[in-house]
Amino acid sequence: MTAVGSPMSGARAADLLDRELPTAVRRRDAGFNEVTLWVDRDALVAACTLLRDHADGAYTTPVFLTAVDWPDREPVEPRFDVVYQLRSLQYNDTIRLIVQVTEDDPNVPTLEGVFAGMDWHERECYDLLGIVFTGHHDLKRILLPTDWDGHPLRKDYASFGEPIAFTHNLEWALPAQERPRDMPGGSR
Amino acid sequence: MTALPPIGTDTETAPLDPLSEQYEAGRERLGIEPGLDAIDLVEIGEDTMELNMGPMHPSTHGVLRLVLNLDGEVVRECRPDIGYLHTGFEKDFERHTYQQCIPYTDRMDYLSPLFNNLGFSLAVEKLLGIEVPLRGQYLRVIMCELCRLASHLLWYGTSALDLGATTAFVYAWRDREKILDINELVSGVRMHTSFIRVGGLLADVPDPFYEMVGAVIKTFPKLIDEHELLITKNPIWRQRTIGLGRLSQEDAMAYGATGPVLRGSGVPYDLRKAQPYSSYDHFDFDVPIGRAGDVYDRYLVRMQEMRESLKIITQAFNNLPDGPVNTKDRRVALPPRNELNTSMESLIHHFKLVTEGMRVPAGQVYQAVESPRGELGFYLVSDGTNRPYRCKVRAPSFSNLSALPHKVRGELIADVVAVIGSIDIVLGDVDR
Repeated sequence: MTAVGSPMSGARAADLLDRELPTAVRRRDAGFNEVTLWVDRDALVAACTLLRDHADGAYTTPVFLTAVDWPDREPVEPRFDVVYQLRSLQYNDTIRLIVQVTEDDPNVPTLEGVFAGMDWHERECYDLLGIVFTGHHDLKRILLPTDWDGHPLRKDYASFGEPIAFTHNLEWALPAQERPRDMPGGSR
Repeated sequence: MTALPPIGTDTETAPLDPLSEQYEAGRERLGIEPGLDAIDLVEIGEDTMELNMGPMHPSTHGVLRLVLNLDGEVVRECRPDIGYLHTGFEKDFERHTYQQCIPYTDRMDYLSPLFNNLGFSLAVEKLLGIEVPLRGQYLRVIMCELCRLASHLLWYGTSALDLGATTAFVYAWRDREKILDINELVSGVRMHTSFIRVGGLLADVPDPFYEMVGAVIKTFPKLIDEHELLITKNPIWRQRTIGLGRLSQEDAMAYGATGPVLRGSGVPYDLRKAQPYSSYDHFDFDVPIGRAGDVYDRYLVRMQEMRESLKIITQAFNNLPDGPVNTKDRRVALPPRNELNTSMESLIHHFKLVTEGMRVPAGQVYQAVESPRGELGFYLVSDGTNRPYRCKVRAPSFSNLSALPHKVRGELIADVVAVIGSIDIVLGDVDR
């Protein structure tokens, strides 16, 4: 239906990383005509710098950054997908990179040194999902008040209901991160 | 991509405007050395002042708080504080069915609700792999471009008002009404239309639509001329905006700026051309770009974009095909009314679709549309159920606003208002 500029969005970046930094990419998917690359956390900064600076890439624009929470996936696979979308205006191509991190170690190196615009996106991702961007100069909440409790876009953060404790549901009064995961009124 | 030659004034070579001589003379009378910039003037003192601007400030177009570190009247540092309108729409999406999400999208960027509807619907349609009939696509284009006109008119009126031009504001409101009337006609609502739905539209347009859009096509070129007559060559406007709030091409790209902010800096990137959706490749239009990336160029780009929008509306209106507006795909579309009288299966199907909603195949897609403010994208993750597993909204105002501290550093405090106006932020879009 939607005609995309190149036949496969992101193929250029995938080829570039295959050629120049083959160790960085763990997995590759091309569903819905959009290439997604699962990138090693330690190689993220190197991969993004390469994509930005290489003449065949020129992925100079950060489109967005977010994370997706899959709590039931642990311990087989890490819980969080941190999703980066970068764009090359020169070649009209968009690539999606995913870095997986676990609940116990939700740290990702910051990219604000690579793309100036990542600053706010990383703060938003920290605010709403609790991903920690190591090395960020000012990692604090951006949308929610600074004294907010928990990270609302995590799946174990109840999406409705007031946390009022009765004798039969005392766990409602617990802070968000201490509530049982299968509590009624959980997000799904 | 075809792009128009850059518009705007090259302030490096050309003189600012006819008044610049008087301006220099005024500076001379005040004893300011020629060529000395405002930022140089303040090297004398070391005292700075923190000034709180907003959140309730008329020029912030919503609730935006800026903490300004001032040295005299010059901004040393600007720290935006956002989130006052954060409503948690992304969390809300996760517990609503796909059709129930549509009204939420209206309320994010409340000045261009049609684009929000369109972006979300296109993302779901991409996951489902369905295509909307051509008439539906053309009507989507017409309604979106009308919405762009309304949004740009509102921006034009309010940002001129910020700099004291009250007349422009009244004129802009007069013309925007005509478009809101069309919204009201097709959807019953003037702003939060929810007109574009997954699989097509709310309904086909009623007969008066043709007359009203015909009137817009006929009258608007002249009305836009009127607006330009008021502002474009106005010496006060030019003196307040030329050379102010500059953003270089490299910075615009690094900050992820899109839309008129990016094009004002001279980058000819428009998603309607670069990644055409909803039949935009059927229409002939140009992408206006600026030269200096200042407030004035962003203004010129938006005014030119209104004319280009009119070109698109005219073409889509004149070539509007007949036929259905909604897809016939039964995963999305309700069975026709007459089938319900005779077919038990249709009745069950109708009931399941209404109560449970459509089931969308698992996967992840990103779909972006060119909203009046820039790239409005929906990153949608589905797990195969009837609700989005995760829906991230890539808000154009969020990225555009993040470049504000960079733009106002070293400008005068009175000019901060003009720079904010030129970004065309909608705080509902920034905070979501």
